Amino acid sequence: MIKFTLRRLLSGAVLLVVVTSASFFLAHLAIGDPTAALLGDSATPVQRAALRHQLGLDRPLLVQFWDWFSHALHGDFGTSWRNFQPVSDQISIRVPVTLSVVIAATVLAALIGLAVGITTGLRPRGVLARVLKVASVVLFALPGFWVSLILVLTFAIKLRWFPAVGYVPLAHSGTEWLRSITLPSIALALGAIVMIAEQLRNGFLEVTHQDFVRTLRARGLSSRRVTLHVLRNASPAALTVLAVMFVGLLGGAIVVEIVFNLPGIGSLTQSASQIGDIPVLLGLTVVTVVFVVVVNFLLDLVLGWVNPKVREK
Amino acid sequence: MQRIWRAALVAVVALALAACTNAAATSGSTSTDQLRIGTLLDVTSWDPANADIGFDGPYLSAVYDPLVALDKNSRPVPALATSWSYSPDYLTLTMHLRTGVSFSDGQRFDAAAAVRNLEHLRSGVRSGQTYADVTSVTEVDADTIALHLKKKNDSLLYYMGLGRSWMASPAAIKAKSLTAAPVGSGPYTFRAGESTPGSQYVFTEKPRHWDRATYPYRTVKVFPIADPTASFNAMLSGQLDVNYANAADIPYAERNGWNIASKVATWVGIQFTDRTGKQLKPLGDVRVRQAINHAFDGAAILKSVGQGSGVATNQVFPAGDPAYDASLNDRYPFDMDKAKRLLAEAGYPDGFRVTMPMSSIFQAWQPAVQQILGQLGIKVTWKNMSPADYQKNASTFPMFVAVVALDSNSAASVDGRIASRQWFNPNPSTEAFPEIQSLLGRIQAATGDRQTALIRELDAKVTDTAWQDVWYQANNTYFSMKGITVTPITGMMFPTLRFIQRG
Repeated sequence: MIKFTLRRLLSGAVLLVVVTSASFFLAHLAIGDPTAALLGDSATPVQRAALRHQLGLDRPLLVQFWDWFSHALHGDFGTSWRNFQPVSDQISIRVPVTLSVVIAATVLAALIGLAVGITTGLRPRGVLARVLKVASVVLFALPGFWVSLILVLTFAIKLRWFPAVGYVPLAHSGTEWLRSITLPSIALALGAIVMIAEQLRNGFLEVTHQDFVRTLRARGLSSRRVTLHVLRNASPAALTVLAVMFVGLLGGAIVVEIVFNLPGIGSLTQSASQIGDIPVLLGLTVVTVVFVVVVNFLLDLVLGWVNPKVREK
Repeated sequence: MQRIWRAALVAVVALALAACTNAAATSGSTSTDQLRIGTLLDVTSWDPANADIGFDGPYLSAVYDPLVALDKNSRPVPALATSWSYSPDYLTLTMHLRTGVSFSDGQRFDAAAAVRNLEHLRSGVRSGQTYADVTSVTEVDADTIALHLKKKNDSLLYYMGLGRSWMASPAAIKAKSLTAAPVGSGPYTFRAGESTPGSQYVFTEKPRHWDRATYPYRTVKVFPIADPTASFNAMLSGQLDVNYANAADIPYAERNGWNIASKVATWVGIQFTDRTGKQLKPLGDVRVRQAINHAFDGAAILKSVGQGSGVATNQVFPAGDPAYDASLNDRYPFDMDKAKRLLAEAGYPDGFRVTMPMSSIFQAWQPAVQQILGQLGIKVTWKNMSPADYQKNASTFPMFVAVVALDSNSAASVDGRIASRQWFNPNPSTEAFPEIQSLLGRIQAATGDRQTALIRELDAKVTDTAWQDVWYQANNTYFSMKGITVTPITGMMFPTLRFIQRG
């Protein structure tokens, strides 16, 4: 297990270095000189040259890369080209926002998806199974921003139960925090719920007809214990979907962060892209890759725990 | 199984309870003590030297006092500088300062503080342009300063009032801490603990501020909301009192009984960067540029693409400005036959080829440009690029689709839109246009009404010379709840707090 863990950690570190290095050079090649966008209409060539010097852009690209990389190793991603504030400060403010929404969406998706998946797996011809079939088609067909807008129109503008925009940190107020992330989390979770439920239902249907389940029933085990055995064998696919979904939701958060005006990493990515703020974009790339590596690592551990057969592989 | 359903049910009930407990909080503020503003962009920087004039107005005006402010007609009016005067040669600007003002860290505002601030602004990468003609700033006495200029500058006071003379604590400037947090003497205190960067900024009143009457709200909250739909939804849900608006939503605002305030903010059209034909020979012929001016129906483009929110004109001086001459608007009536005739006279009866840049933010106008230039036989090859690259590279093309900010000061318009080198105007090439160059010299030497008359002459001259092809001037629009009035100022993309009043 230790060897397995070390191997996974090492491959994660390699992935991190490769992706961020490639991102650095690609971003600099694609965006180039940002001073026109940063200084606006009235900047003179002298002002632009001064800003280029201030940002260190008049140095060779390799020197710039090594400077960035060596600082990034210590968690210092430089300063934003837009507001000259440390990138790590900005990201540390934004990450909790996105994580709040994504984790809440994942918990919602896991709980409801699990409940619906098991129920429809046990009663594949029931009403819920039919509803799930329709829902999976409808929710996949609907664009995320449209679902978000319907939620805003109904629950924020008409009923005024939740705010239409904005985020309140947990430290300010627990209930206000919950209210500010509710609609975005639901918007993100809806697609994930049906996906997890579908996976789990299919897993259930596949496992229920296997010999070991028949044997368990023949030995007189209660239906609850049989269901638990089935669940353990049917859940890896759903768990993988859940992990992939968590990473996917990080990306999908851009849409809900824009619709609900949440100051998360999605909206930061969008605004940094618009003005070509390379230090912020690189910081965000590092954070996202770290998330992907950590989530996949945890998924491997959980899968091994749930199903010992996975560990043997 | 039941446990899972129970857990799912608990999650749903918790959310519903959260909604019910605070339903009242989103039902709109009825308190006139609180002002909640929705604007398009987040604060660029709390350091006035790094801030933008455009959208930083509401943020910076909450925490800083300026030396010079503007009134609703964009005339410079006293703020921390109570009066000023120019020397007879216009090379020294002497300012008398307000006494008894302190910054929020306890530092006193005096001549030394003003000098320190102006030096900081002079060296700032974003603010430096305003002070390009200032050679030094000196203390005359404890409450008086002098700005020494290398040449007469008619737009200095205007730019200072627009958002380039915010005064910050000298100690904070020295400590370089303004990037992280503002330290000013302004009418409000920034509540960092109650604010969420990127989402909402909270300010509370300073009861003893010297200009308390101008700022009637006890609390001001500014919400940067980039997406127009999100921002409109926030207004509909009662979360905002004032909003930077999309012109398409004006009918809905009228239906809701909101106040609507609009004023021209940008000119939209085609910028010619190669008026001498160095890069693209045909553009060096005034008849070609005039033909392009005749070919575009600015009023129709304003109606279809600009949602009718603006003024159809071919001038770069804002509608209503003293230099704006309404009679010039019939210089280029839409006339495709005349356009083709002019092109033929210039020796291009079959048109010519041109490469133009394009990016997502200009795509709304692309079909019109393609079609209209096509009718003249001008074949466009588009080079697609990102918005950031567009601003950087557009001026390397002989002509491009432009949306350029306007200024509500005639002298500033002359300098910024016509005479000086800008990103959108890399080749003012006034030496190739002796009449324009001569007029610029006379404008520089003149003052008052005489100067305004000369600027009107210049306006006519650049219009005749087809200096650019302006289709229309587009409005910036602001919605506000009943009881709140917004006075838009051309040059400020979002007005400062002194322009948001009860009434």
